[in-house]
Amino acid sequence: MDAAANGATWLGQAAWRAVKFLYPIALVILAWAVAAHAGWVRPLFLPSPQAVAEQFWPMLNGGEIVAPLFLSLYRAFGGLVIALVIGAAVGVAIARTRWMRWGVDPLVSVAFPAPKIAFMPIFILWFGIDSVSKVLLVAFTCVFPIIVATYHGATTVSRTIVWSAQAMGTSERELLRRVILPATLPYIFSGLRVTVPVALITAYTAEMVAGGGGLGSALMYAQRFFQTPSVFLYIILMLLSGVVLDQFMLAARSWLIPWQPEEDS
Amino acid sequence: MQGVSHIRVERLTKHYESREGRVLALALIDLAVDEGEFVVIVGPSGCGKSTLLYILGGFLRPDTGVVEVAGRPVTAPGVDRGVVFQEYALFPWLTVAENIAYGLSTTGTPKGERAAVVERFVRMIGLEGFENRYPRELSGGMKQRVAIARTLAYDPQILLLDEPLGALDAQTREVMQDELLRIWDATKKTVVMVTHDVNEAVYLAQRVLVMSRRPGRMIDEFRVQVDRRQGREAVMLSDEFNGIRNKVWLAVRRQAVAAAR
Amino acid sequence: MITLARRWGSLAALLMVWEIAVVTRAVDPDFLPAVHTIAAALWDLVSAGEIWINLLASTYRALVGLAIGTAVGVAVGLLMATSRAANGFFGPLVAMTYSLPKASLVPLFILWFGIGDTTNMLTVFLATLLPVVVSTYHGVKAVPQVLVWSAQAMGTPRAQILRRILIPASLLSILTGMRIALGFSWVLTISAEMIAAKTGIGKLIFLYGENGSYAYMFAGILAIVAVAYAADRAMVWLMHAALHWHDSADLAGEH
Repeated sequence: MDAAANGATWLGQAAWRAVKFLYPIALVILAWAVAAHAGWVRPLFLPSPQAVAEQFWPMLNGGEIVAPLFLSLYRAFGGLVIALVIGAAVGVAIARTRWMRWGVDPLVSVAFPAPKIAFMPIFILWFGIDSVSKVLLVAFTCVFPIIVATYHGATTVSRTIVWSAQAMGTSERELLRRVILPATLPYIFSGLRVTVPVALITAYTAEMVAGGGGLGSALMYAQRFFQTPSVFLYIILMLLSGVVLDQFMLAARSWLIPWQPEEDS
Repeated sequence: MQGVSHIRVERLTKHYESREGRVLALALIDLAVDEGEFVVIVGPSGCGKSTLLYILGGFLRPDTGVVEVAGRPVTAPGVDRGVVFQEYALFPWLTVAENIAYGLSTTGTPKGERAAVVERFVRMIGLEGFENRYPRELSGGMKQRVAIARTLAYDPQILLLDEPLGALDAQTREVMQDELLRIWDATKKTVVMVTHDVNEAVYLAQRVLVMSRRPGRMIDEFRVQVDRRQGREAVMLSDEFNGIRNKVWLAVRRQAVAAAR
Repeated sequence: MITLARRWGSLAALLMVWEIAVVTRAVDPDFLPAVHTIAAALWDLVSAGEIWINLLASTYRALVGLAIGTAVGVAVGLLMATSRAANGFFGPLVAMTYSLPKASLVPLFILWFGIGDTTNMLTVFLATLLPVVVSTYHGVKAVPQVLVWSAQAMGTPRAQILRRILIPASLLSILTGMRIALGFSWVLTISAEMIAAKTGIGKLIFLYGENGSYAYMFAGILAIVAVAYAADRAMVWLMHAALHWHDSADLAGEH
């Protein structure tokens, strides 16, 4: 079959998949538009989708979108990197050494179910309301799931793989680098993927509570002045930032860990 | 009933969807099983024998052809056809006794009578004392016995066995094969079993049907006339047994080799 | 005795180091109150009753939101797993809203419902919904086909397959999702209270922070951490009890 026809069918299939995926969302937006236009609710409470969309360009030009968005992302990303480095290191350490496990285990057990947002006033007290406190809060929140994921991955490395490597003369140091770390990487990545939304959420929430710039603060500001379309827009932006980052993570995964078969989210 | 097969399959075909497109799994299968017969279907891996069994069980629908049990078409799973899967499929949240009693609850056995039936079958499979254990506490052989007991308890007329002994080690397998023969002898059910183990097939069956590689067709049939009363050792060392076994083995092997090419 | 030391040793050590550091002024007590000061503050709050009212308010909101979120979540998850149409409709919505920080809806809800229980519980409801939906869906999807087929072969009517087979077989998944949702319920309640509330432990912590009563602030944080920990322990106990027949090693995984 000629390439053009093949290309056309592929495009057609992709388009159909997109329609199947987007139609519920389109329905929701449609319902929203109908509700707004029918006048059942005052525009103050429910602006129409157009009103929200119309806010986008003026806000973009007014610097109310890009700067706060990147500030939030910077904080989320910064905290995440710190959490990743510390979490992966600790996770591997407690998987290999027993006394480290005894030491860290109680701390993780207590910290894991705790709502770490409750610790935010402490971070504000110590580091003020600027980025540092928020980055550290994000790091604090994200480190635990990463420790757990790394630990899980490191302990799941099959004995026989380790034994094979040792039989082939791998030193303890090399073992860590050449066998355990690559085998653990998919688990760390899984943990990371789940933690990315957490990092974003923590950054946004911290900004909503304490101010200090970022998308969260901007949202609160808009609400305080009853600028409902802006409120909606910020919520949508937060949503999209999460979606885009997740897609990015998926792409990064196939690039970084090409040997792992894909599984569904 | 004379002249009417208990199970009748005529010109059955089945496709399935795969990444490469539509694949033909079964090509024009004909099959007739009499009441009380023990039939074993052998074939190379992937030839579609399990698919055939699933269609007999009513879990899958054929694309074309006739599938009838006792003169009536098969359209869905039913209590007339008991199934034992290779993975046992015991309900892990139920005890041994509760698993065995499951079919009794769905076929309307009064509550008062269930305990007695369960106890009878527990004794039959030799698991007295294990009634309140959960599947996770049982060995593979024990699980298999519970699976068989569960299927027998509500007295289906037909037994469909999908590689029921596949996951067991060699010794347990032999024990369970004799167990199966004993049960069949006592209950006179119609049995259709699927296996890839040729020895097992010839040891158990009255008739062995050989299936080709994918797409599966019935290519050979062997009547096994061996006096099983001699006991396992005599049977397996006898010329009759080995003669048939060799023919079956060769037939299956040729298919497996052709499939590998 | 050894196991007790193993379980809590490093925490106790941490507290000791903390106390010593503050008492010796190695760390400024204005920034980090000593352990004994916090303990005294906590005792004061507990005996004065102030903490109970607020803890109760927060717990009430969290658990009610959780209960409704779980009930609806399991129902939707089951629906999505058993109906292609439902999956086609809800699936994209779930995937989309997963990345939305539900706390971002608090200002909107304040606009709609004012500051109070409704806003708080609605937020918790939405936050707990998704993990339960996803874990229920995956749990049911993972039920081995042969279990359903066996049940059908033994004559189980269609209407009973859900209750007798699908739910028990996916229980571990469902309960794991509930455990995650439980964790979320605290986070969202506290977040909502810190953003705007009249009562609640989150609000209390925030107030103490603003007033400079740091020992009381720490005490409040300690209180909610303890409550969340106890709730999680209770959930784990529940899971063990409900899943005593389960052979999976996952059950032993406490984290």
